[in-house]
Amino acid sequence: MSSAIAWWTVIVVVGALNYLSRLSFIAIFARIEIPPSVSRALRFVPAAMLTAIVVPAVVFIAPGTTSLSLTNPKLVAALVATFLAWRFKSATITMVAGMVTLWLAQWLVRLYG
Amino acid sequence: MSSFYSRAAFLAGVRDMTPPLIGMLPFGLVCGVGAQSAGASVWESFGLSALMFSGAAQILATQLVAAGAPVAVTILTCFIVGLRFLMYSAAMAPHLKGLPPAWRNAMAFLLTDQAFAAGMRRFREKNDTRDGASYFLGGGLLLWSTWQVFCLAGFVAGNVIPAAWSLEFAVPLCFIGLLVPVLRDGPTRVAALTAGFAVVALDALPMRLSLICAGLVGIAAGMIAETRRRPR
Repeated sequence: MSSAIAWWTVIVVVGALNYLSRLSFIAIFARIEIPPSVSRALRFVPAAMLTAIVVPAVVFIAPGTTSLSLTNPKLVAALVATFLAWRFKSATITMVAGMVTLWLAQWLVRLYG
Repeated sequence: MSSFYSRAAFLAGVRDMTPPLIGMLPFGLVCGVGAQSAGASVWESFGLSALMFSGAAQILATQLVAAGAPVAVTILTCFIVGLRFLMYSAAMAPHLKGLPPAWRNAMAFLLTDQAFAAGMRRFREKNDTRDGASYFLGGGLLLWSTWQVFCLAGFVAGNVIPAAWSLEFAVPLCFIGLLVPVLRDGPTRVAALTAGFAVVALDALPMRLSLICAGLVGIAAGMIAETRRRPR
């Protein structure tokens, strides 16, 4: 498959699926109640999917190699960011302080690691 | 349209969405850089940000295309990550009941993690459909247009941004900011912990299938934990 066709297939199909997910209950709420089993499962989608995205980006220091030590700057920054997200409930503070912590930790590991 | 439009609420939505944009900037840049390094053209990069309008889906799509994953796997992964929009849609729906279809369709298109959080806060505070809808549109339109600029900037500046900045770390940071507030009770924490362990344990699976599998295992674990806590 040519790369342009592959890109546009992904863009259009995912774009449409995302839009249908977004529209789903907003459009049909008047006629259909959300099945309880569906809403029970959906409740856990953000917790499970976001964690599954975050954890590999933090604990892997190389393909196939994890590090749970404080010499892993990404782990230090993620822990600080988690605390700040819990304490201040602000995505902006979490982002800015997380990046700054990462740079500091990288610098310290280079100096003393 | 005019009978549902409140200029004051629209502008309040724009104003309240402005500070979070600072936090979105690194994430948008990373999405643009990702599209560029995966070999997308500038139009393909724009298509990703304009139509998917979801940082998580854009990042995963570019990573999977760059890794040569089949189109079907890419689509499935992005779709499953986007399932959280179903939940947002369900939570938002009762507040939009009185609106004309055109309003609801437009608001659905602009439904993102940030716009959802801001919109729901406003609906709960004011309990006014007309006010909340204009507020949501204001914030959502600002977010959509700024997101295009951020992603385009990342696409253009892809080669210039030094690797030492570790800008790609903006992606987990953005999701930590979204994740922590949803970990409000035991079962959601069980779902998150299980998904976290599973995604590392399943890392050897090809084409990042570990992500989908860990997500499903986490959801199942959360449902089991909930059933155990409240036996029927």
